[in-house]
Amino acid sequence: MSAEIAAKSKKQTDEQAALESEQRYKRLLASVTDYVYAVTVEDGRAVSTFHGPGCEAVTGYTSDEFERDQQLWYRMIREEDRPAVLEQANRILKGEEPPQLEHRIIHKNGSERWIRNTTVPRKDAQGRLVAYDGLVYDITERKQAEERLTRAHAELAANEEALKRTLEELKAANQELKQTQWQLIQAARLESVGALAAGVAHEVKNPLQTILMGLDYLVPNSPTENENVAMVLSDMRDAVTRANSIIRGLLQLSAQSDFEMKRDDLNALIRRALGLVKAQVIAAKVSVTRKLDSHLPPVKMDRGKIEQVFINLFINALQAMSAGGVLTVTTRAGQFGEDLKISESAFRQFNRGERVVVAEVQDTGIGIAAADLPKVFDPFFTTKPVGVGTGLGLSVVKKIVDFHGGSVDIQNAAEGGAIVTLVLKADSD
Amino acid sequence: METEKKRILVVDDEASITRLLKLNLEQTNEYVVRGENDSKRAMATAEEFQPDLILLDVMMPGIDGGELASRFQEHPKLRKVPIVFLTAAATKSEVYARGGKVGGLPFLAKPVEISEVVACLRQNLGQGTKK
Repeated sequence: MSAEIAAKSKKQTDEQAALESEQRYKRLLASVTDYVYAVTVEDGRAVSTFHGPGCEAVTGYTSDEFERDQQLWYRMIREEDRPAVLEQANRILKGEEPPQLEHRIIHKNGSERWIRNTTVPRKDAQGRLVAYDGLVYDITERKQAEERLTRAHAELAANEEALKRTLEELKAANQELKQTQWQLIQAARLESVGALAAGVAHEVKNPLQTILMGLDYLVPNSPTENENVAMVLSDMRDAVTRANSIIRGLLQLSAQSDFEMKRDDLNALIRRALGLVKAQVIAAKVSVTRKLDSHLPPVKMDRGKIEQVFINLFINALQAMSAGGVLTVTTRAGQFGEDLKISESAFRQFNRGERVVVAEVQDTGIGIAAADLPKVFDPFFTTKPVGVGTGLGLSVVKKIVDFHGGSVDIQNAAEGGAIVTLVLKADSD
Repeated sequence: METEKKRILVVDDEASITRLLKLNLEQTNEYVVRGENDSKRAMATAEEFQPDLILLDVMMPGIDGGELASRFQEHPKLRKVPIVFLTAAATKSEVYARGGKVGGLPFLAKPVEISEVVACLRQNLGQGTKK
């Protein structure tokens, strides 16, 4: 009997200990979570749910409300998050230990709350799932802080993007400003060179006249037995011719007032200019390809000046092809920026859609060193040997084309050689 | 033969130019040349020399070529003497710019070879082309 009493007493003690242990476990849980719910499981199915006392603070609903309405816990979950919560429940019912889940619920007062839901399985001595506990933490404040941070990050990124864009725009504007400044300096230089040229032309031409006529006198009167004399006199005549062509180039740079603008056919003018350099073309062993658009609209221009432009371009091209080659002259018309394949950045003064005429002079020569490209229109810039060029040909070209409200650009062609592109406004009147 | 030679008056302030024009032109045996470097004395020299043609520099100190040309053209004995401008001004428009009276008159742009000068003289003296 005493053994029975002792056994009974031990059982009571054990039950007491288990109860105390469970209560301690719940107190512990309550201290680290906002609330705990317990789900009783039978044969792998959830049969009842009990929500701990902290649930009201988090959800707005009391334990009794959850008790009375066993689907309340599910309806409380925000619709988009329900599949994830069901998945978590299904996994634990299958005996798995799913990771904790963060999801949203709708508080009784209608507000949205974020909770972290951690499930802990409870198994019997045989390892069967008899229940599981859900540990709920209210993480609304953390989530809101995170969202604020994300928004701030997004705003910052957007600001950074805007800043980058502004910086790019500033850089582009600065580049444009530099370009304009450079062009202004060039224009000012050109103007001063022109003014200077006009001033000195008279002073230089008179001494040249004296030398030339001195040579005219000496040639028939010099001793014939010394052939060096003839050579020296010939060199002197060449020097006069060269000096004169420099002066002529400078005067062309300075000439502004005597442009006679008339509506004219650019193709006819190009044919005439080609005719004028025919002898040089033959001497240079160059073949000429003409691709002239037969429907080219007329252009308002000074025929003589534009002819000068093409002669200068042709002579340059011929000089670049010392071993012979092909000189291709192309004309076409179109709407600027729409149906014309030309670099829009090089011809910025034209408006999109403006009707223009384009002429290209392409050679198959040595091309232009990249470093020299920005300088080719500078007065006196030349890559030719001494005595071959004055360095004024392209300056004159630019000056004349600028005066016509047109633009000229020079680039190396992809297939070798250089290509000069000239754009003039078509005369629509 | 001397009487058949045409008389050319060269008015240019550069002495070397008048001197060399004289040497070169007289070498052709077709011309007698008088040089005048002072534009203010040009009228008197012309009256005295009685040229068949006047080669006239445009830009000169004192009286410029344009003004001088109009004075020659108003002179009863010189008005029919052809004038050819010899100018360092590069373009025709610059010659025109020196008064309408200059416009229309032939001109040679410096520097010019003597063969061109001779061709121009022949044309303006109605000599035709000899060579």
